[in-house]
Amino acid sequence: MSDSDSNSLNVPLKEQEEWEDVTPIPQEEEANTVCPIAYTDEYSDMMGYLRAVMAKCEVSQRALDLTGRVIKVNPGHYTVWMYRKKLVEELGTDSESELDWVTEISEIHHKNYQLWHYREALISRLLDPKTVEDLTQDQLVGHPAIRRELLFASNAIDGDSKNFHAWSYRQWIVRTYGIWDQELVFIETMINEDVRNNSAWNQRYFVLIGDGRGKSASEPEPPLEDSLADREIDYSIEKIILAPNNECPWSYITGLLLRHAPKKLYTTLLPKIQELAAAGSDYAACIASTAMYWSTLVDIYECQAKALPDQASALLDIARDACDLLASDHDPMRNRYWDFRKSQLTMSK
Amino acid sequence: MAPTLSVDKHARYFKHCLTMLPAKTVSLDATRMTLTHICLAGLAALGRLDEMVPDNKRGEMVEWIYAQQIPAAPGNAAYRGFRGGSLFGPHGACENVAANSGNVAATYSALCALLLLGDDLSRVDRKAIVYVLRQLQQPSGSFVPHPGTTERDPRFIFCACATSYILDDWSGIDRDAATRYIKSCVNFDGGMTQAPFQESHGGHLYCCVASLSLMGTLDAVLPDRSRTLRWAMLHQNGGYQGRTNKAPDTCYSFWIGASVEMLGGHALLNTDEVASFIHKCESAYGGVSKVPDANPDPLHSALGIAGYGFCRPSELPRMSPELLLPESVVQGLRSKCAAK
Repeated sequence: MSDSDSNSLNVPLKEQEEWEDVTPIPQEEEANTVCPIAYTDEYSDMMGYLRAVMAKCEVSQRALDLTGRVIKVNPGHYTVWMYRKKLVEELGTDSESELDWVTEISEIHHKNYQLWHYREALISRLLDPKTVEDLTQDQLVGHPAIRRELLFASNAIDGDSKNFHAWSYRQWIVRTYGIWDQELVFIETMINEDVRNNSAWNQRYFVLIGDGRGKSASEPEPPLEDSLADREIDYSIEKIILAPNNECPWSYITGLLLRHAPKKLYTTLLPKIQELAAAGSDYAACIASTAMYWSTLVDIYECQAKALPDQASALLDIARDACDLLASDHDPMRNRYWDFRKSQLTMSK
Repeated sequence: MAPTLSVDKHARYFKHCLTMLPAKTVSLDATRMTLTHICLAGLAALGRLDEMVPDNKRGEMVEWIYAQQIPAAPGNAAYRGFRGGSLFGPHGACENVAANSGNVAATYSALCALLLLGDDLSRVDRKAIVYVLRQLQQPSGSFVPHPGTTERDPRFIFCACATSYILDDWSGIDRDAATRYIKSCVNFDGGMTQAPFQESHGGHLYCCVASLSLMGTLDAVLPDRSRTLRWAMLHQNGGYQGRTNKAPDTCYSFWIGASVEMLGGHALLNTDEVASFIHKCESAYGGVSKVPDANPDPLHSALGIAGYGFCRPSELPRMSPELLLPESVVQGLRSKCAAK
């Protein structure tokens, strides 16, 4: 940060010698505006000068510092980010100090969208994926720029374990630089910390299926190898046991298998969860009373009925019974939904 | 007796916001157009728009909105439409066209705000806007909000679709491409996302479903609505949760509530629970907050109230789920289109 930055916190720009040559542009306003904001003098002062430098596309350190001040209080100003990007490029600003600045902003404005895209643009410029495509995954994870970004995202997640932007930024880094293996380790750490963290479970689906494949809506769902399907079933069951009411592992494994290994739903997952529910312990009673257990049964039997039409009638009967139990006992708040779900379980599909 | 919404207090809250917002709102300075739409829509959702914004006040508001329409200037064709606020400065003040840029979200909000104020949109430069939409659509089918950014997601697809629908001109959008993109946002758990593989999110559910509904391609992407409805239903726990295992938040009363309406699932809802949660978030001083015992803000107020209206149709006028406008205004649009 330059000296002028600490100065500017106290002295309005209009009184600073450094800015004497600039005429600030006032904000014109109709007499009775809508949703006017009671600007502070400080804000009006700095915005007047920002408008002036942006109007003539001034390239200078003072302009760069000013964009920083504006973004700090108004990160939603959608054109100043573009201007700052241009300034950084033309001034040849050191990338590390710019990344430090973005980190500072992210600590104040956790949920701002623009800063993540800005950072993505900086990194793309700093580290062209083509220049590192021959490195192994271990080497890539050890690369200072990549390590730094993974740390940035995981720090944000430390602060807010479900920070939507941080998780999607990680997806971008993982996909751009091909560092899939470390992500699975990260996900497992996060799920161990909080088995209810849906962002982590969603990331798991991304790592399993998002691997290198440009997703196209017209592509049939890629099948999942048996060994991976089995591994994911066991992993999900292990986590179900920790918190049977937790939606995440149930939705994860059902969704994963429905799309990529539907047979496994009834050949492998079904017997395992039924075994859990039938164990004869207090614990088993707990599993057997969760809405997720019964709604998963509905999904599995529906899928099985489609695959085995000669058994469909019997299978759909079981599924319908499960819907009744959900409506009456296990998820009565959603009883109307379960009646609807039951009505959908027909053989005509 | 069932509780009812404190309509008077909320109406005064919106009127107050339209009149003046505190200094700390400066982080929303570039989205005052959205705030304008939100406050007017909130009043309409309460049935108090005519009372709080009488005819003699509307002209001034309409002028302010039109003052944010970017006029033609050399090299600025991609930057036109409406901007989010006047913070960018007077239109003639600079040669740097990128500094004074329209934004597709502001364009959508401006059109809605004008309609709410009874304007006939005759001063809207439709051709300019349609041209801009074409520039903003990406090869993937998604949309950026303005030139020069990599931010691209269903929020802006929605704004582009809503704009096209209101202007009754779809030549700015490749609907097939937008539909394909949205289809790639259907997630393994039945929810909908910002981009393929990202986490299912109630806000993006709305943007995706509303876009499809406006484009007329809902059935093409969701021929079996049950998995999407399942996701929406599972995310109603008291109020609606925006994501799995997150706390309920009043804004999702609209984002998810409206999605359920569009998917034909109204009869499946536990409307009492949703209404009850919104009641808990009403501020004693007017406005609705995100969660109980927090400060209200215009966005959660308008969305909470609109969402409440879906659950209590006898208490409040009906809002269109697709457009955050009263159903009556949307009917008016449709009959104008039919009359052409």
